[in-house]
Amino acid sequence: MKDNTKLLTYITYGILLGAVSVLLNDMREFDFNQFEKFTNWAKTADKNESWFTSKNAIEWSYYAISAGLFFWRGYLIYGFSYFLSILKEIERGNYFSDKNIIYFKKIGNIFISYTVSVLILRFLLASIGESTFDFFDELKAEFTFLIPAGLAFYILAEIFEKGKQAEEDNELTI
Amino acid sequence: MPIVVNLDIMLVKRGMKSKELAEIIGITPANMSILKSGKAKAMRFSTLEAICKALDCQPSDILEYVED
Repeated sequence: MKDNTKLLTYITYGILLGAVSVLLNDMREFDFNQFEKFTNWAKTADKNESWFTSKNAIEWSYYAISAGLFFWRGYLIYGFSYFLSILKEIERGNYFSDKNIIYFKKIGNIFISYTVSVLILRFLLASIGESTFDFFDELKAEFTFLIPAGLAFYILAEIFEKGKQAEEDNELTI
Repeated sequence: MPIVVNLDIMLVKRGMKSKELAEIIGITPANMSILKSGKAKAMRFSTLEAICKALDCQPSDILEYVED
């Protein structure tokens, strides 16, 4: 079991490093200087002009939402990092520990909140006219599978809670 | 829990120390302490059998039902 845990830890580290490097590369390619343009525009903008419909505001919203998507990707990677904590607990022999139950719940929370937030951000992107959004098409996208995965982690947390109770009962059976 | 373990009383009656009993029935002193303090959630028939044999008594001498 311990050998398997070590192998799984290495695989998880590999996935995490890969995901972080892809995210950093995407952020490098994303031109954050465009926010400066917006700041300059905000200083000189005509105050009588409607803020919501102005081209600059729409552009800025697009960049802000794109940056928001980066944040959520980072949050998802953070969620994956909990796998390492779970593997560490398993390596110590604490299978049904309180920590593992909390980690499973946290992973479930992160997976679900990531998917819902990305769906909302994509909808906002579509509403400012930078992309098309079809709710049912979006549901077919790969990332939406994180919702059932998140629910599965909630179920695992419940199972581990029962397991912990059974372990305690077993320890107190003389 | 309404089930009370009267192990202390039986040990006094037989003049035996709990450490000795733990050794005879093959459980750790820590488990003996759990049993005596009433923290145990369950008792195996094999443990009960060993205690009864060591103390020469009946299960009813060890376990008692007291309503909460």
